[in-house]
Amino acid sequence: MASRSRSFNQVLLTVENISLSFGGVKALSDISFDIAQGEIRAIIGPNGAGKSSMLNCINGFYHPQQGAITYKGIRRARMRPHEAAEQGIARTFQNIALFRGMSTLDNIMTGRNLRMKRGLFWQALRVGPAEHEEIEHRKVVERIIDFLEIQHIRKVPVGQLPYGLQKRVELGRALAAEPELLLLDEPMAGMNLEEKQDMCRFVLDVNDEFGTTICLIEHDMGVVMDISDRVVVLDYGKKIGDGVPDVIKNNKAVIDAYLGVSH
Amino acid sequence: MGFFLEVLIGGLLAGVLYSLVALGFVLIFKASGVFNFAQGAMVLTAALALVRALDVFEQWHWPFGVALASAFVFAAVVMAIVAWVAERLVLRKLVNQEGIILFMATIGVTFFLEGMAQTVFGADVYPLNIGLPKDPLFILESLFDGGILVNELDIWAAVIAGLLVTGLALFFQRTRIGRALRAVADDHAAAQSVGIPLNQIWFIVWLVAGLVALVAGAVWGAKLGVQFSLSLLALKALPVLILGGFTSVPGAIIGGLVIGAGEKISEVFLGPSLGGGIEIWFAYVLALLFLLVRPQGMFGERIIERV
Repeated sequence: MASRSRSFNQVLLTVENISLSFGGVKALSDISFDIAQGEIRAIIGPNGAGKSSMLNCINGFYHPQQGAITYKGIRRARMRPHEAAEQGIARTFQNIALFRGMSTLDNIMTGRNLRMKRGLFWQALRVGPAEHEEIEHRKVVERIIDFLEIQHIRKVPVGQLPYGLQKRVELGRALAAEPELLLLDEPMAGMNLEEKQDMCRFVLDVNDEFGTTICLIEHDMGVVMDISDRVVVLDYGKKIGDGVPDVIKNNKAVIDAYLGVSH
Repeated sequence: MGFFLEVLIGGLLAGVLYSLVALGFVLIFKASGVFNFAQGAMVLTAALALVRALDVFEQWHWPFGVALASAFVFAAVVMAIVAWVAERLVLRKLVNQEGIILFMATIGVTFFLEGMAQTVFGADVYPLNIGLPKDPLFILESLFDGGILVNELDIWAAVIAGLLVTGLALFFQRTRIGRALRAVADDHAAAQSVGIPLNQIWFIVWLVAGLVALVAGAVWGAKLGVQFSLSLLALKALPVLILGGFTSVPGAIIGGLVIGAGEKISEVFLGPSLGGGIEIWFAYVLALLFLLVRPQGMFGERIIERV
């Protein structure tokens, strides 16, 4: 598959001059880029480049010391992760962060957490409107389970599942929130070729069918160049490239960062 | 046989009360990984608030039912304030600290609560009447000669504990908040990423633990009178937790029953040959044996570390 050439005109999220440091270590310095509505945006870079830190800033786990993040036209003040979730930002983690004791179904149901409104008392008794609501949410979750082809593990505690399936359940939980912006931190790390192809297909389908904007971190260059619309390259906390895959492939700084420079 | 059953039932019913206290520990440990040493002090605070409010309302000549209900509401509000303050001033400041640091903080909370509760509500022994009958009761008289003697209050305590556990189970399994609590227990970061606010969840857990403490305090208080020694129940709950596992609600219940029954049976049947007082140390020795054989307890999650 050649890189996709689509055009986007509406900006969903803008990152302006973000700097983040932990004590004396600069994780990010003066990073700026934007994510357009509906695109698949990749963040790449060698290990320790600050990619995960960037995602953690976007969803509120980290608070950059300098710079601003504007989301849906609103400049965001210091924000906590659950507030980011309320505004439609969902994510997965580099090291799978699932609720290990719960079944696949329950894990994905937690993604519906923000959309449940009925009183606790009624929920506990499962009567009246609460029962209706529970069934509605279950329908959404079952659709996601069908979409990700994980029907056979619905009731299995996720701690017992193989790695590739856990990654898929984690994606399901993020999708259950019906996010506008989906952050994927190395969705294909540690997968074999077949699992990677499945995951690529899911990412593309989510983007096509639901129009979800996706920002992903990935190390597999073949995958990145195939599925993303635009790519940001970080190295040692600095931005060294930004553009469509074809441009990035031929960017000298990027090639140097990945392959090293001869001295 | 009749006598053995009588001892066994008496022990099981006493065990129910241990379970009630252990339950409060399990709730907080499950949801936040904090071993809350202050649970005993919370039982004392709740019981003191309850008994003193009840005294006041009765002096105002409110009908007993109204006075009792109002006193429970008052004590529940006190526990809500305790939970809120604990979250605000202690837990929130110590997010992401080591478990041992949080544990030390709860010891601090213990001393604060013990001091505050006794300053505000008084430090005497207060008899508590929550309308539960205290008469001795003979059951199964047709089966055994003379029947089996049980204390009616203990039976009510068991009923109340059963209702409480059913309520908690429904809350945890069925509600949005319950699901969120289990999620927070499993993974903090992931829970936040699906929009679960940690601070709010911690407040709710401490509140629920406070309400469990209130029930435990009411029942123990009705049995023994409300006094400072309620605070020491925390120590008795420890072996229960080691037996049942720190993360298991059913474990807390069965652990409490085993310890309650074991104490009484060993006291009555081993006491004469070993010398009395077994009741006092039995629970701890049993816990020690468990630590050697099955450190995660009967129902706790097996701790497996990848090397």
